Parts: sequence; C-alpha cells; structure tokens
Amino acid sequence: MQEIEYIKQEALKILAENDFGSSYVKIFGKSGVFTQAAKKIKDVPEKNRPIFGQELNKAKKEIEQLLLEKRTEKSTRPAIKIDVTAPGKKRELGHLHLVSQAISEIVEIFNKLGFTLQSYPEIDWDYYAFESLNMPASHPARDEWETFFVKGEKDPKYGNLVLTPHTSNGQVREMERAKKPPIRMLNISRCYRRQIDISHTPMFHQFEGLLIDKKVTIGDLKGTFDYFTTRFFGPERVTRLRPHHFRFTEPSFEVDVTCGICLGKGCRLCKAGWLELGGAGMVHPNVLSSGKIDPKIYQGFAFGWGIERTIAMKTNLPDIRLLYQNDIRFLEQF
Amino acid sequence: MNIKIPVSWLREYLKTDVAAKTMASYLSLAGPSVERVVKHKEEYIFDIEITTNRFDSASIFGLSRETFAILKSKNEKADLVAPKGQDFQIQPETKDLSVVDVLIKDKTLCHRFTAVVIDNVKIRQSPAIIKHRLESSGVRAINNIVDLTNYIMLELGQPMHAFDFDKISNGKMILRESKSGEKITTLDGKKYVLPQGVIVIESGGKLIDLCGIMGGQNSQITRRTKRILLFVQSYDPIRIRKATMALSIRTDAAARFENGVDVEAIPKALARAVYLAKQVSNARISSEVIDILSNKPKQKSITLDEAKLHSYLGFKLPKEKSIKILESLGFKVNFQNQTIIAIPPSWRNRDIKDDVDIIEEIARIYGYHRIPSTIPQGKIPNEISSNLEHVIKLKNDLKVLGLTEVMTYSIISNNLLALSQTVKNKVVELANPLTDQWQYMRPTLLISLAQVAAQNQYIKDSQKIFEIARVYLKKQKGLPDQPLILAIALTNSNFYEAKGFVENISGIIGRDLKIYKLKKKHLTQEDLSAAISEGSEQVGYFGLIDSKISDYFELNGPLYVVEINLTEIFNKAQAPKSYKKIHKYPPVIEDISVIVAEALEIGDILELLGKTAKPLLTKADVIDVYRDKKLGENKKSVTVRLYFQKAGGMPTPSDVATTRGQIISALEKTYRAMVRK
Repeated sequence: MQEIEYIKQEALKILAENDFGSSYVKIFGKSGVFTQAAKKIKDVPEKNRPIFGQELNKAKKEIEQLLLEKRTEKSTRPAIKIDVTAPGKKRELGHLHLVSQAISEIVEIFNKLGFTLQSYPEIDWDYYAFESLNMPASHPARDEWETFFVKGEKDPKYGNLVLTPHTSNGQVREMERAKKPPIRMLNISRCYRRQIDISHTPMFHQFEGLLIDKKVTIGDLKGTFDYFTTRFFGPERVTRLRPHHFRFTEPSFEVDVTCGICLGKGCRLCKAGWLELGGAGMVHPNVLSSGKIDPKIYQGFAFGWGIERTIAMKTNLPDIRLLYQNDIRFLEQF
Repeated sequence: MNIKIPVSWLREYLKTDVAAKTMASYLSLAGPSVERVVKHKEEYIFDIEITTNRFDSASIFGLSRETFAILKSKNEKADLVAPKGQDFQIQPETKDLSVVDVLIKDKTLCHRFTAVVIDNVKIRQSPAIIKHRLESSGVRAINNIVDLTNYIMLELGQPMHAFDFDKISNGKMILRESKSGEKITTLDGKKYVLPQGVIVIESGGKLIDLCGIMGGQNSQITRRTKRILLFVQSYDPIRIRKATMALSIRTDAAARFENGVDVEAIPKALARAVYLAKQVSNARISSEVIDILSNKPKQKSITLDEAKLHSYLGFKLPKEKSIKILESLGFKVNFQNQTIIAIPPSWRNRDIKDDVDIIEEIARIYGYHRIPSTIPQGKIPNEISSNLEHVIKLKNDLKVLGLTEVMTYSIISNNLLALSQTVKNKVVELANPLTDQWQYMRPTLLISLAQVAAQNQYIKDSQKIFEIARVYLKKQKGLPDQPLILAIALTNSNFYEAKGFVENISGIIGRDLKIYKLKKKHLTQEDLSAAISEGSEQVGYFGLIDSKISDYFELNGPLYVVEINLTEIFNKAQAPKSYKKIHKYPPVIEDISVIVAEALEIGDILELLGKTAKPLLTKADVIDVYRDKKLGENKKSVTVRLYFQKAGGMPTPSDVATTRGQIISALEKTYRAMVRK
C-alpha cells in the first residue's frame, strides 16, 4: 500500500504549494492524482483490490478534509494601510433645481391620496383663467392677478390669450377632460404675473389640487392639508384656515402653517406664529357649472399656492429671485 | 386693500372689555385678517387686509359690526353703538335757500344721489381728535371740511365729496358720461384727457368732478369758501373701474365705489356729515336735501337647505346656532322645512348671493378651527398621470448622469429672440410686457442655456447643465403650440460627449432614438451637428452652438447643446421589452483592426459587418479609432471587438475562422480596407 502513501504525500505537497482552486484541480480534477490513482486499480492484483479501494478512499477523505479547511482558511496577503479619511472615488453627480425637488416631493405626497398630476396649457384662454372661474371681465377681483396678455386676435368664444397667472385654469379644463367625478387632480405649472420684488418673480411655479366628489367637507380639506404639511414640513407643523375671498371658491380660505422657526410662539419672521401658505376653498357652484358638473350632486375643494414660497419657508431663502439667477454656486448647494 | 384701524376709535362704537390683541386674533380667525397690530404712541392700530367681497367691513363702523358678531359667538360681552347723527333730520335753517339743480343723464350711472348745501362755513383746522384719528389711519389732515369728508369715509366706508358751492354755476350740475377728449384738472393738480364713458359732472360748461374718483380743482374748498355742497353718492362700479384703469388713478374712494357701497346707508352718511359739519364749522343748513334714488337694490331672500350646510361642515350643527350666528351678522332669518331662509342686511347685499355664501358666514363665525380634520372618503379616480410624472423621473436620472438643472425665464427679450432665428409669424408676443427684457415667449431653450453657460464660465470650467420647460410657437388659429423640451448644454466638451448623453437618454426613456446627419440648419453649426429621430420623425438635434450665439454671449470655448422634444417622444409608446434566451455558452471574442479611408463612417463598417456575418456574429463594438501618419494619407485604423456566439455550443475555431474570413473579404472588397496584422 506504499503507492497510496505516495499518492497522499503528493497530494499534501500540492496542497501546500497551491491555493484552493488549483489544489482541487490537481488533486481531484480530470488528471488529478486521485483520479489517476483510481484508474490504476485495474493494475492491482484482484485480491488486494478491496483493501486498495478502502485505503484510497480513506486517504481521499483525509485530503478532502484538508482541502475543505484550506478553503475556509484566510488567504494571506500583505497588509494594506487604509486612510478612511481620504476621499473616495466617486461619480460626478449633477443637481436638481430646488423647484423640481419640491415638485417631486409634493407629487409623491398627493399621489398617496389618489391625486394624479395632469397637464394643461401655460398660455391659455381668458375663459379658463378667469371667466369660467366666476370672474367676469369687469370684476375688480381680476386686479389681484397682474396678468400678461398675448398679442393677437380675441377668440369670439374664449376671449384673449393670457399667460396663466395661476394654475386654476386647470380646474374647468380637468372637469371637461374627466367628464365625470370623482376628480382628484394635481396641476403644477409655470405661472406669470407682472410683478418683481424680493418675494415675486414675473415667472413662478404654482401647484393646484382639485377634488370633486359627492360628499366633500371642509374637514376633508383640512385633513388633506394636515396630511401634506406633516409630510412636507414635518410632524411638528400644523395648519389653520382663515376666511378669505376668491371668486372661484365659496367658502374661501387662506391656509397658514405654523412658523418653522418659533413653532407657533411668534417671532420676527412670522405673523404671530403663523406663515401664510396659500389659498383654498370649496369649489364655487358656478365653477362646477362651467365644467358641466351638477353642483346639486357634487361638491369639492381646491387649493393652490406658490412653490417658490414653500421653498423659501423650508430653506430660509431670503430672496426668491435667487432661484432664477442660475448661479452654478447656488445650484450646486442643493 | 389694507386699512388702518385705530382701536380707540373702534371702541367708540364697539363697547367691550376684550383686549386689542385678543380682538385681533379673533378677527383673523373668523373675519378680516389683522396682519399687524402696531402700537403708535398710546394707541393700538390694526393693519387689516380687506378682501374685495368685504368692503362693508372696510371702515371703523363696518369693522365694529363684524367684530361684534365674532365676539358674540365667543360669548364675550359686547355692544354695538351707532355713530351719532345718522338719523339726524336735515331741515333748512336759513330763509334764503340755495337751489341745487341736478340732472342725471343716464340713471344707470348713479344709483343714488344725495346732496345738501350748508353755509356760514368757517374753514379752519379740525379739532384735535379728528386730526389724530385721521393721522392714525394714514390720512393727512387738511382743513375741517376736507377732513370731515375723509372722516366719514373712514368711519362709515362711504366716500363723499364737498364742493365750493359758489363755484358751481347757478347751482346747476349735469351728471353724465364723458365724451372722448374732454379735459379735467383734479384736486391734486393733475390734468387728464378723458376717454368716452367716464362718469363726470358738468357745471357751466366745465367739468367739476371726476365722479367717484377725485373732485375737480376748479370747485375745491379754499380758505375763502363760505357755502359748501356736501355730496354723497353711489356709482356704477363697472364704469368706475373702467375709468380708473383707463386713467391709471388709484384712490381710496374709487376702490370703494368699484366694489359697491351700501345704497341704503347713503342718506345716513349725509346726515352724519351735516351733524359733524355743524360741530366743526358752525355751518347752517341752507338747502333742501336732494335724494335721487334711481336704482333701489332688491331685497334678496336666500334659502339654504340644512342638509347642504351639514354636508359642507361634515357634522350636524343645531339650527339655533346657525340662526344666532346669522342674526348677529344682521341677517333676518326664518326657518321652515329644514331650510334656513335668510335676508342679508343692506351692507351685505352685494356679496351674499347664494346658499354657499350663507354656509361661509355660519362656518367662519362658528370657527373653522372647530371643524374636525378628516381624510376624503370617496373613491380614488381611475386616472393615469400626464407625462409630467415621467419628467420628474427623467430629471432625477439626468442628475445621476452628472447634469445640473437650471431654470430660466420663459419670457425673453427682443435681442435673445433675434438669436433664435424664429420666423415672425411663429413668435408669441406679449401685449403688455413688464419691460423690454421680458417681451416674447421663447421658441427655444438653447439661447437661455447659452446665457447661463456664459454667466458661469469663469466660475466653473466644465459645465453640464440642462433644463426641461415648454417652448411656445404661435399657430394660425387657436392656442400656441407649447411642447415640453429637454435641452442640455455642455462646456469644455465635444460632439461625442453630447452624443453619449443622447444615447443615455434614449435608454432612460426606453425609446429607440436614432442619430443621423443633420439636413436642416438649426441653432448649431452644420458640420458639427446631428439630428435625433424617433421612428420616422425628427424629435431633436444636437451639436456645436451657432457662432452668432456664442459670440453674443462672449463664450470662451465651444458649447455643445442638445434639444429634444419630449412631448413628441412621450406621446409615442415605449418599445416593449421582451425576454430573449440567454446563451448557455460564452461567446468567442476577437478584435480586428482595419485601416480604412478617413471619410468612411463607423456606421458603414458596422452595417456591413451586420450584413455579412450574422448569425454567428452577435455583437460588434468599436473600441478604438486611431490616426497616424504611418497609416497613410487620410487613413484611420478602426478596431472592432467581435462577439461570435451560437445556440448549440461554443463556436469552433473553424466556425470563427470562416466568418472572420467573410468579414475581412467583405471589408476589403467594399471599402478597400486593410486588415492590420
């Protein structure tokens, strides 16, 4: 049985000189030592064959055990000194504009309440921007929207072309598109007004929500706002409604959120603990009628406000115009 | 509009012990918003925002009425006291009566016209208390009569005017619409040339009043004035509004008339004015009262189904509470068959129209904060979002690709428009631009991006910026085209980097964007541009920006730009992805280098390989293009990595050799290529 001892020695030598992978091939592979040895069994005299087989198996098991141990053994390599404070090798990432970041957060929050983002013209007819929203041409409430008009002929039915001064043009357009409630719509768009100062740019973004259904209460509007502010501004912030006036809602509200600095105690930056967030209200029956929805069966709420304003409230931006100066040093901060 | 309310003046009509600051917060939550409480000397002053529907509360007494109802709902003690003299009976006090002869040409111009003459007037300073109250309210004191008119307006919300009666020719006044081109000089010395349709008063051939806006200089009160015509009116709001817009005059009086005044309260305001005039100027009444009521507002009765009220509130409010709230606001209320029947007070006649207005009154006085928050219960509509949701995702992916988003104005100047080379009848122009910087709606984003790149070029060497926004192109009829465009600008870059972005985007949005030679000239340079298409349609292009644009912005290096019409792309379906069997055996990979003419395009080589060597050749990637004089004049070497693969097993060396031979001979024959050994 010297041959087996010889095979074993050879296997041990291979094990010592090679890593796991090559040891395995050289010992148990096609032309490995054990495979070759097994083939030699036919050369062994017949009476010795059982013993030879047993011994060979025994040796094989021993080597297998060693091989297994070798596999779990830590590979030896020279130690490398790491400086964990040195910079990593990274991809150069770009930056999203603050307005896009806010839009994306808002959409995500309202998606969960079943609102979907829709899209309407940015240059639209007077009819959709005003007339259908219970604001006839002679109405002084129109003055609050410092509207840009587009040169060109009036449409006999829809009036002048305007740059939408708010996202509410989407209200009647959505009613026409959806045809039948329930409606849960979100509209986010560029809007335009003829004004510029530290809190106004002639172009800005507004977002608008519209919900129409059979039973919609003022409490539902409040609940929707609470849901939004908790997720957008944080759980410690709450909202309140104050009476206000918009022609396309009745009752109309102004929505306040507790100031992020003083959390409602009152400070220099807020009005007695509150910051104005935006406008809202229960959709006026005349607006539902404009959208061919029967106000005797359906009611709803709508809300809207400026994205830039919410960003300023969230990031302490001192001047809204910074958002549109596109200084790369500003853009790369966010 | 914002008004200033001195709290001590408010307390003259609203008797209550409630502190000023508490009152302010009650008001904000249930009525007009108190934006600030300012302490001025010993006085608290409310700065209040009045919305256009609630001009009835834009006065000391109006706000007292409003506050009274709110305090009552809070169970606070409060009493409302009317200003003195409102019910004063105006009787002539002289024998020698002045005669006022009024002619109203069109009774739609003026709903109510009241006036009376007083004489024996001494023009002097107002008493201290009046001066103090005016000044606390932000109005300059002038003399006792002018101050009186302002005082009445602040106190009751009713604008009024005083003429020097001796300057009115024979006491004759004609109230009519102006003719185009008529002239008037107002109290503040400004001259106006009127359009047609402004309400004016003519006397002795001259205009003496720009009605409801400002009096004429020719009939104003001076130190020598003795006889005065006190004058309280209500005008057609629409004509007043048109006039203030046409003449660009904003006055407190006009704002009030535009929103309508309480027609029933007009004689009371005149009585109060006479009452005060007698106190401040020793005046005597020297004419009969004129009161021409041509358009008495109808009393409205509004019915509100109680069930509707409850469906707005979300709970059942006992009817007694609703009735009490409405009554505290001055409504007359009846209740029958589950409906509330409410008649609004005269001062709410204009803003209360429908049942929802009554709901608002009840809900706000009850307190919005007392309505519990709920999440909307109904069904979620079965709707698909618009493409804008894909845009949100796309922006995020572009950021990960290393692009930074900018946002530029959609309104551009004439200079920038000229760079865009847009044909004039496609341009959307504003009728009332803010300045000439913002005059046109942009037809492309590329100019704006070039501007941003130039603005930042000394701050950052290698800019990679993008914007997604609409562009605007006029159509012959209807709304302008407003497609959503993705634009990219790269400084310190090259054609292939720009192309790489387009290829990446093609993968991100799951559409097979093809790139080919640009035939039409765009805002890029022809030899360094390419078109992008989806299916058979061109959806964009990219390349080196036009030199006119880079010169205009003084760009210090090449700017590569990409413009893709996302609206067109998103309107087409995504190419569906379906499973392809994964090869069980690995491919044989070989590189082959060929020397070809410089003019030969990579695309042609790849196309030929595809034609010749399929199906064994499953993929061919160009991994290197190399130029060297040693290769020969106008030659380049192209190295292609070839992947040979087949379903049944690894390709045999002879399979590969055969295909390879076919490839080489095809390249040699078609393109006179030399295979490098």
